[in-house]
Amino acid sequence: MLQALAGIPTQLVARQDKGTTGNVWSVFLAPKQILKTARKLMEAEYSLEDILALDFNEGFLVLYHFNRWTIDERVTLRVLVSRDNPVVPSIASVFHGAEWHERETRDFHGVIFEGNPNLVPLLMPAEDVDVHPLVKSAKARLSIKEVLSLGEIVSSTGEIDALFAEAEAGEASDA
Amino acid sequence: MSAYQNMDQMTGDFYTQKFEAAKQDGTLIINMGPQHPSTHGVLRIVIEVDGEYIVRAEPVLGYLHRMHEKMGEVQTWGGFIPNMGRVDYGHAMAWNWAYVGAVEKLMGIEVPERAQYLRVIMTELNRLTSHLLWWGAYILDLGAFTPIMYAFDDREMLLDILQRPSASRLTYSNFRVGGVQMDMDDKCIELIKAFIPHFRDRLPMYHDLVTENIILRRRIEDIGIIDQDMCRRYGCTGPVLRGAGVAYDVRRSEPYSVYDRFDFEIPTQDSACSAGRYHVRIAEMEQSLRIIEQALEQLPGAEGSHIVDKAPKPAMKPPVGEAYFAVEGARGKIGIYVASDGTKTPYRVKLRAPGFSNMNAFAEAATGTILADAVAILGSLDLIIPELDR
Repeated sequence: MLQALAGIPTQLVARQDKGTTGNVWSVFLAPKQILKTARKLMEAEYSLEDILALDFNEGFLVLYHFNRWTIDERVTLRVLVSRDNPVVPSIASVFHGAEWHERETRDFHGVIFEGNPNLVPLLMPAEDVDVHPLVKSAKARLSIKEVLSLGEIVSSTGEIDALFAEAEAGEASDA
Repeated sequence: MSAYQNMDQMTGDFYTQKFEAAKQDGTLIINMGPQHPSTHGVLRIVIEVDGEYIVRAEPVLGYLHRMHEKMGEVQTWGGFIPNMGRVDYGHAMAWNWAYVGAVEKLMGIEVPERAQYLRVIMTELNRLTSHLLWWGAYILDLGAFTPIMYAFDDREMLLDILQRPSASRLTYSNFRVGGVQMDMDDKCIELIKAFIPHFRDRLPMYHDLVTENIILRRRIEDIGIIDQDMCRRYGCTGPVLRGAGVAYDVRRSEPYSVYDRFDFEIPTQDSACSAGRYHVRIAEMEQSLRIIEQALEQLPGAEGSHIVDKAPKPAMKPPVGEAYFAVEGARGKIGIYVASDGTKTPYRVKLRAPGFSNMNAFAEAATGTILADAVAILGSLDLIIPELDR
């Protein structure tokens, strides 16, 4: 997997425990890198499983699950965008199936996928375009470190680790 | 009122109008659905036709949207299990399994061997009911009424069997974190053992009656090509992918539970057309029978009971973290992602429905075919609309 991502500036690459998470590689990316990464994964014969978002205090964390037909090695790309301006470039030009997944994520969380050929409501009615059911109330919303853990860090630029700083200190044994 | 709203109902709603903006000269725009009988529920497809030929198609989803993912965020972990029976009424057991499997992963629960076998037997029986439902309904879509009667005759026997250990006939929700709700009684096992030879005898009749029928073959052969490249681009899985010649089955590729102990084949077809997908499903029914047979043989020797000791209560609190678990459903890869903040309600539940990705490929596959073929393609995707819309 790491060869497939050669040349892409990542924020953090970590290896996760497959037994407990079902995921092998966890890659944090800046929004502008996602399209280039999707192209690389397409070349490396990955297929897209789904796209979803999680609502955190730090912003919306958009997850892309990829897997291959031949090897069971799930890769999760993670893109953190701010709550004020949740814009991520669309990967629908590479993985055509992403179009619907992105529209669904826009419906549920209000994340905008720039470049999606048809970014109109998919599952939610067209009349309720400003209603995003999975956006949490300020009371229910948590910090990223209260829900996720990083896993075994392979490389990092430091910006994502900072979000997890406290959690890592508290649960050092998990890393 | 939003930007997407259209008050002038005479010229169609927002989706029709948007679709119409790119209309060519001399073509006609029609709505297939949301009440069209071949859409098996309420699916709508806006189609631009030039004479009989489809120029463009755009599915409009959401008529059966129930926001299961939100329901997951307001219920207890255990309280969400019944939702799984309602996402996909065709193969409810597989959805049950995907969800409890994800939670078990999160909690690090080892499921007893006997429970694993019971899950395998019930899920495979449920796969047969799903394929039988598809088979009957597909042929009905294509204009033959009799086969669905035969399919439902056999399916009825399966429902009677599944009713015993699950106490329901369609929307099963008998999986529990750590096992299954009830053990199978001897009578149930007896019924399954009697069903297998019965169904093996029936399959040749299905083939004689339908598979080799020249009318059916003309309707489905070389219609609706979804090849490997399309499958990768759209994320198609299940019989759609196997019908394109890729032997990808989650039971084999990402082995879970005790599936690695059974000897079974992954049927594939290279034609990538509707007929390919048809043959894959028919062949899968035979493989399911093989799996059930082997599971029944190994069941008496399996250790443990039908559920783990001190099984978690519905208001369980899984540790903080995330988990992704995938199983092979009748329509393809069912994937469930759960994130826990350590409380008794999930922080996020994401349902990956195989039909959603398969349906996504429809517009491209249907372009250039005639309108009647669109029905043949839709049916070959084996759609369950509540699963698409979730």
